[in-house]
Amino acid sequence: MIEVKDLVRQFKSGDRTIKPVNGVSFELERGSLASIVGKSGSGKSTLLSLLGALDKPTSGDVVVDGVSLAGLPDSKLTEYRRRDIGFVFQQFNLIPNLSALDNVMLPMEFAGLRKAARAQRARELLAQVQLDSGKHQRRINRLSGGEQQRVAIARALANEPKLILADEPTGNLDEQTGEHIIELLSSLSRDHNTTILVVTHDRSLARRADRRFRLLQGALNEEAAARN
Amino acid sequence: MSVLARSVGNAFRNKIRTAAVVAVLAVAIGLALSMLVANQAVGARIEELNASVGTTLTVNPAGGQGFEGGGEPLTAGEAAAAAAVPNVTSVVGTKALRLRTETTTTTDSTGAAGGATQPGAGGPGGQGASVTTSLTAAVDAGTLGNRNNSGTMNGTATNGTAQAPAFSLPITATGTAAEVDSTGKALDITSGTGLGDYAAASTKALVGTTLAEKNSLKVGSSFTIAGKTFTVAGTFDAGTTFGNNAIYLTLAEAQALAGTPGELSSMVVTVNSMENVDSTKAALQTALGTDKADVTQGQRNLETAVSSLNSVKGISLVAYIAALATAGLIILLIMVMLVRERRREIGVLKAIGARNRTIGVQFVLEALVLVALGSVVGAAIASFASGGIASALISSNSSTAATAQGGPGGFGGGFGGQGGPFGGATQLLSSVTASASPGVIAAGIAAVFAVAVVGSLVPALLTARIRPIEVLRGE
Repeated sequence: MIEVKDLVRQFKSGDRTIKPVNGVSFELERGSLASIVGKSGSGKSTLLSLLGALDKPTSGDVVVDGVSLAGLPDSKLTEYRRRDIGFVFQQFNLIPNLSALDNVMLPMEFAGLRKAARAQRARELLAQVQLDSGKHQRRINRLSGGEQQRVAIARALANEPKLILADEPTGNLDEQTGEHIIELLSSLSRDHNTTILVVTHDRSLARRADRRFRLLQGALNEEAAARN
Repeated sequence: MSVLARSVGNAFRNKIRTAAVVAVLAVAIGLALSMLVANQAVGARIEELNASVGTTLTVNPAGGQGFEGGGEPLTAGEAAAAAAVPNVTSVVGTKALRLRTETTTTTDSTGAAGGATQPGAGGPGGQGASVTTSLTAAVDAGTLGNRNNSGTMNGTATNGTAQAPAFSLPITATGTAAEVDSTGKALDITSGTGLGDYAAASTKALVGTTLAEKNSLKVGSSFTIAGKTFTVAGTFDAGTTFGNNAIYLTLAEAQALAGTPGELSSMVVTVNSMENVDSTKAALQTALGTDKADVTQGQRNLETAVSSLNSVKGISLVAYIAALATAGLIILLIMVMLVRERRREIGVLKAIGARNRTIGVQFVLEALVLVALGSVVGAAIASFASGGIASALISSNSSTAATAQGGPGGFGGGFGGQGGPFGGATQLLSSVTASASPGVIAAGIAAVFAVAVVGSLVPALLTARIRPIEVLRGE
């Protein structure tokens, strides 16, 4: 269970104060797929960074399974990201000089898993995201965009997180590949009982979510939705 | 993939840049190692010079070194007075004897028994008593020897060739209170042993190699001096033919043979450091009295040489530190550049749960990989260049020293043949050999790694300041 309580993030820009996230509150059940849509600059990525402890809110709190993130020291937030969060980014953000397998193994290495165990799990995850085994040892820059995003999803699942935060996961992909990724995220949320929150412009992806939110001038409104 | 493997991989991400960085580091590290090698070589040479003759003073009876004859002989009391002078670490008394072959003596045209009345028999200043021996001198008298013997200037034939020997050269016997020669340098014993207790009278003797060969003497052989039988305890090599036409006895024995107990021909005084030699020399002269003793510093030009070597050592040390600092600065700047370039990647690593420490270690290891590559090339550069760099430094300094003292061998013609092997600071300086020993190279590389760790810590700490939200930059 993820609870977001009256979350505010404000910045100073010259004399002006900008609030890309302004009093956002919502709850997500474990295993649900949620989407947030909104215009560019509406604060979607800022909200995502607050949920993923990449940034700290000006006020408000995020509570994950009863644990409040507010006031946690950086070391605990790092631990939270490592253990409870998986990220999928629009630009994939994989380490370019590592292989697909090594990229998936990285979060497990940070979590202290033994090498053999993390190699085996990484292969399993890459198989789940349907990356050919012949491409496991390929460097990232020798994979297509769709393949890279599959690797990024596998990496996000590495430490069996409670929450996967996906920022425009289909934004850099063609329509067909995007469709595959949407299908993949949807099935993973069911199979792994993982909560997935997707920030997207993609209407087809948003439509597949159990819950749909629209962010408008920092405020979040839930729209009626039904999972396909 | 471990942090180390990831660091190695990162070091080779951009091969052209890596090659350029390694090349620059190699030059800095090579220069640092070369300077360290030069510093060590020069330091070793300074120690060697200081340990040999650099800090010894010779005390002779006043006027005893000239041909005009001396004053009063030195005594054990004066040795004790010398030992009490500040900065004096040891005083070794010697007693010189001239040994004349028994058969030569009996057939000498002068008919002087024991040669005591031969010209120059008493040695310069009349210090050396003359006694007979069963030994035959290993070298024949040349022009100078005959001239010294006759006291005339007829030593050279009109055609410039040396005259045939007219008499046999005496054999030098030195009684010594320690296993050192008359300059304070340790005796080079080539066979057998030393004399044991040098303070006590003993019938053991050390024989020069050429003298031993001439008389077919080996360790355990015997010969006589003044009718007394002596046993060869060992042989020594003084490094010169005339120097090896000599024997060493214990001081007490030599004094007894000369019939002058307690009397010394000279004293070798060792001073605790080169810096104190001048002041100690003056103090010694005052303590002993100018009418009693002459205090001399045999190889005065050593001071100039050591001073120049110290200068080279200082320059090489400064250059070593500067080159090390340069290597550290290169690492610092390269790693800062890499950290800035990889801000987003660092953000990614933090976003997926990497600790600051893990990322910092990764960057330090990456720096060390670059330094390791630079060290390999740098060590190769040092092994080829260190000799040349040391020579360049030394020749630059020796030129200055030579100019200051009026040119190499500027003291030529003075006492002791200053134009000889120790004839100038330049010659002493040029004898320094800088070779890159594995130990010095290893120590230098260890220092380079230490500097690299320090240099890479700053950028590693910078990574801790990068926030994980950097991952969303440009999203």
